[in-house]
Amino acid sequence: MKPHEQQRTGDPTVATLLSWLVPGAGHLYVGQVHLALIGFVVIEALYLAGVLLSHGMFLEYLPPEMRGRFAAALTPEAGNLGALLLHVRQYGFGGDEPRPWPAWMDLGTALTATSGILSILFASHANLLARLPQGGTQHPDARAQRDPALCAALTWVLPGLGHIMQGRKARGVVALVLLVGLFGLATMLAHGANLDRERHFYYWAGQFLLGPVALVTEFAHGHPRLESIPQYKDAGIVIGSIAGMLNVLLMLDVYGYGEDRALGRERAADPVSDQPVQEAPSV
Amino acid sequence: MDDLSTHVLLFLVVSAVIVAISSMFSEPEDGPALKMYPRRLLKFVVGSGLVLAVMLVCEHTFASIH
Repeated sequence: MKPHEQQRTGDPTVATLLSWLVPGAGHLYVGQVHLALIGFVVIEALYLAGVLLSHGMFLEYLPPEMRGRFAAALTPEAGNLGALLLHVRQYGFGGDEPRPWPAWMDLGTALTATSGILSILFASHANLLARLPQGGTQHPDARAQRDPALCAALTWVLPGLGHIMQGRKARGVVALVLLVGLFGLATMLAHGANLDRERHFYYWAGQFLLGPVALVTEFAHGHPRLESIPQYKDAGIVIGSIAGMLNVLLMLDVYGYGEDRALGRERAADPVSDQPVQEAPSV
Repeated sequence: MDDLSTHVLLFLVVSAVIVAISSMFSEPEDGPALKMYPRRLLKFVVGSGLVLAVMLVCEHTFASIH
């Protein structure tokens, strides 16, 4: 065991994997019973509501040739692994004959996807709690800088918002302008064809990482029939997906910055390094 | 604007955003991130140009039907 691991509340890998499988299990593992219950109820209720509204049909968006064993692995729902595994077992890809989509299909699939993203963020919070010293709390500076998982969640809600909450306002505003601008350019090039999960299943998944910005645009635009194929439709679809994936980098930046302060260490040269530069504070 | 110019312009716009966000990710302080941006952008564009050149050579050598 490494010296800095002796004071940890638990094994962060175990906490993360437990939370990935069942939201809240990681918090239960580190002794946060109330937070575990709240997280479990909120995240699973979102997934259940989504399944009820969409009749569990979101994997039927995939054309038959794409319905492989791991087809669901690249969906946002994979963030809530336990629910997704049950979902696949219960509903799979539907029957042989195509069925009409339920009236609330779009909202339902948006809820299941949101559940997956929140579950991943919740798992990252469990990971952080497991790294904190036993019986301790976050470093005093961390409270002022906000919880890193919360800031990452805010970055998903609106790119740059997490940075602003951490006091890095200029960076947050630049990030917001760049990613929302890129997404706007993508939507314009594709004439809104990028805003449809049925039409572009996996590109939509990438774009969904941009959060409510993409969702609100999708619901405002609707899914009108295309009269002709836009000249730069493919470019728009790819660029929209890139904008979503770049938001993951922003979430990691916010999380790493907040985590370093929560653990009372200087920012490491390597953003994904696990080695603390200075010893964690004793509480 | 012709098709090739539009694609090049789109590539440059997307490159500028990709490099800006990746600079933020790799450098927590704004000053150094801003300072390293032009060099990183140049490396990204030149690197992508090299990949394009290799792909064009491969296409011309192995996939040409002429």
